[in-house]
Amino acid sequence: MVSEFEPKKIRVRYSKSGSLMFISHLDLNRTMTASFLRSRLPIYYSQGFNPHPKIVFSQPLPVGVSSECEYMDFSVTEDIPFEKITETMNSVMPQGIRFLDCYEPIGKFKDIMWAEYEYVFDIEPSEELIEKIRSSLSGSVVVDKKTKSGVKTIDISPLMDVLSVSENDGKTSVRLLLCCDELNFVGPNIPIKYLMDTVTELVDIEYTIRRKRVLLSDKKTDFR
Amino acid sequence: MKIPESILRKVEKPGRYTGGEWGRECKPKDSVSTRVVFCFPDIYEIGMSNLGVRILRDVLNKLDFCSCEACFSPWPDMEEQLRTHNIPLCSIESSDPLNEFDMVAFSIQYELCYTTMVNMLELGNIPICAQDRTENDPIVIAGGPCAFNPEPVAEFVDAFLIGEGEYEIAEVAECFDDCKKRGCTREQTLRELSHIKGLYIPSLYDVEYNEDGTIKSFGPKYDDVPKTVVKRIVEDMDEGPYPETQIVPFIDTVQGRITLETGRGCIRACRFCQAAQLFRPVREKSPDTIVKQAKALADYTGYDEITLSSLSISDYSKIRELTDKMLEWTDPRKISINLPSLRADSFTRELMDKVYSVRSSTLTFAPEAGTQRLRDVINKNIEEKDIFQACRIAYEGGKRQVKLYFMEGLPTETYEDLDGMADLAQRIIDEFYKTENRPKGTPQVTMSVACFVPKPFTAFQWEAQDSLETLKKKQLYVRDKITSKKIIYHYHSAEVSRIEAIFARGDRKLSKAILKAHEKGIRLDGWTEYFDYDLWCEVFKETGIDPDFYACRVRDENEILPWDFIDIGSSKRYFLREKKLAYMNKTTQSCAEGCAGCEANSLGGKNTWCPNLNQKK
Repeated sequence: MVSEFEPKKIRVRYSKSGSLMFISHLDLNRTMTASFLRSRLPIYYSQGFNPHPKIVFSQPLPVGVSSECEYMDFSVTEDIPFEKITETMNSVMPQGIRFLDCYEPIGKFKDIMWAEYEYVFDIEPSEELIEKIRSSLSGSVVVDKKTKSGVKTIDISPLMDVLSVSENDGKTSVRLLLCCDELNFVGPNIPIKYLMDTVTELVDIEYTIRRKRVLLSDKKTDFR
Repeated sequence: MKIPESILRKVEKPGRYTGGEWGRECKPKDSVSTRVVFCFPDIYEIGMSNLGVRILRDVLNKLDFCSCEACFSPWPDMEEQLRTHNIPLCSIESSDPLNEFDMVAFSIQYELCYTTMVNMLELGNIPICAQDRTENDPIVIAGGPCAFNPEPVAEFVDAFLIGEGEYEIAEVAECFDDCKKRGCTREQTLRELSHIKGLYIPSLYDVEYNEDGTIKSFGPKYDDVPKTVVKRIVEDMDEGPYPETQIVPFIDTVQGRITLETGRGCIRACRFCQAAQLFRPVREKSPDTIVKQAKALADYTGYDEITLSSLSISDYSKIRELTDKMLEWTDPRKISINLPSLRADSFTRELMDKVYSVRSSTLTFAPEAGTQRLRDVINKNIEEKDIFQACRIAYEGGKRQVKLYFMEGLPTETYEDLDGMADLAQRIIDEFYKTENRPKGTPQVTMSVACFVPKPFTAFQWEAQDSLETLKKKQLYVRDKITSKKIIYHYHSAEVSRIEAIFARGDRKLSKAILKAHEKGIRLDGWTEYFDYDLWCEVFKETGIDPDFYACRVRDENEILPWDFIDIGSSKRYFLREKKLAYMNKTTQSCAEGCAGCEANSLGGKNTWCPNLNQKK
């Protein structure tokens, strides 16, 4: 069967929450592959001995973090409306994962420089607590960071903006912008550890982390 | 209760506990009158791959009054968290503790999970011993291959389901639901359950022992309780219930693919093999049924790999029709087919080119024994020329690796037979260089040698297992016989095989040992990192149990065996006949060649290989 149609690249923004938060990137890949096969959409397959739907993911999300701005590229071998892809995929994927938006890719994944995270601690924010968190995150923020060459002590304050510390539905919300440039990547779990070490009220408090947006180097433009 | 996220962040592979997979659904609690939780006494990755559990859960969930959830053993890191935070073991779907269900069903697949089962009961807040359970506790039921000798775990289980559970478990659920609505006590309910064919309620039977520890008498306490428990089967495999949905795990499991039975039982009857007998008479699904079920599952799951499972797939009567009908639609959809359990004598170039698993770089066979004499003793019915022919085909097809499964410690085994193992491996290497169209590179033979474990309902059920010392000595003997670097030699732990042998043919007295083992923190014995033989030795010492009585004792043919009250179809006189033939180095024909008189036809069955049932067309 020879198709005249040149495979068309599709980018999708999708959310990851619930049980999906606790699966690894490898497991996500497997889940996506199976979902594509269930959808019976005309997905472009890698060629070779063991053909698989060809999927490219943006930066992996750490286990335990939810997100409403994950990105993934794939191709289709027939012209098919974006809405139809979104609708079909959402009917064959497990609850914790939703396609939000399908479109023709604009930027490249390596253009993603910053990510906004919201940390919600299951504790009522007194003014004192808010102040403590603010002051803990102002000035230099020195943390241990695991790198390929061992553990390094670095100050992440140039790689982090504090957007807000406030109340959210009776809980304490902290919004941070973290650098995700390949060389200066700050994982969302790093500030958590720092906060637990410096703000005693937060020790052993249940918390959630959610990736809200990913941005280009100007810290303003949403990645597309 | 839901496991807090803080705990999920701390444990390995939290995906084992969170649920939410494609296909996991749960009826609302108040929409049903009987709630069952299906427990698998091993971790998620193993349990999710079990076909039997999948079928039975589907049967229960299709009953309108019933729901069936799932639970697996936590890995020790999670167990520690549960114990520290006082969180009971809960089902995946509703996160309700095990003790809040009406029925808790265990699938017991192998002897080494007995301690895990007991541990799960405790973690789920259910009294471990059946006699300690109250009206508020669930009824604990169990089935699976190990239920064919239920005695070692009889003290922990209220009711065993013997045989294939498709119809049986629905009858149990209906009977239970009816009893519940009538307000029956636990005792009344169990008594009524005992009237269902295939049900064994240990508390309704008395055992007396002789002074030497053997059984003096075994029988029901009441007249209405059956003396003999007859195995249940699905007579017509085309009609039997089969799920057309399947949960698709997020994390990698042992069988992350579609597994589809082509039939049950085995026409061969190797004399050490229990599975062949447990699933007799041999029944097949038609190719059309298999294709229909495979398509439905492929559509539903999105898996791109299908394993056609059977004890001996090459004996499937319409294998060519089946593979052709499968490839017709799997090829365009880029779905690959696996055929495990291929016999050396059925390995052809045609099959190799068709099927994915056969296309992989390794060819796997199970000669089981090193000499023709011993292969005849165990009735393996495979000849050396078949093995070499298969190897040649594989070499010519571009393969360089061969994997061989053997067993050591088989009845009548001599050191000559062990020499034969090493010799066979060497000659398979030599064969590579004799093959003209061989691929480039060097060949490799991997030998995997298991220890023989005598099992109930086999011709060898009266035999002794070799002592631990002998097993180990033989393992090293074979190792020293291997001179070529092209042969890789693996052997199973003799200690594990010994524990398996003790429980495989155990009686009720062993429940004491399981309880003691549980006290010492033993569980997950199937995992090398947790198996502790020294601790088991302490267990037997402290409970006054002689392990050799169970593992290394030759049973008299007249002895009452703990599993004698179960009728699996194949009769004791058949097994005795087979045992005699074994000692005469004589083989027995397969069901395809003629009747060996196993008598499993007494159970009925359609579309079967049995010459005494309806003849195959």
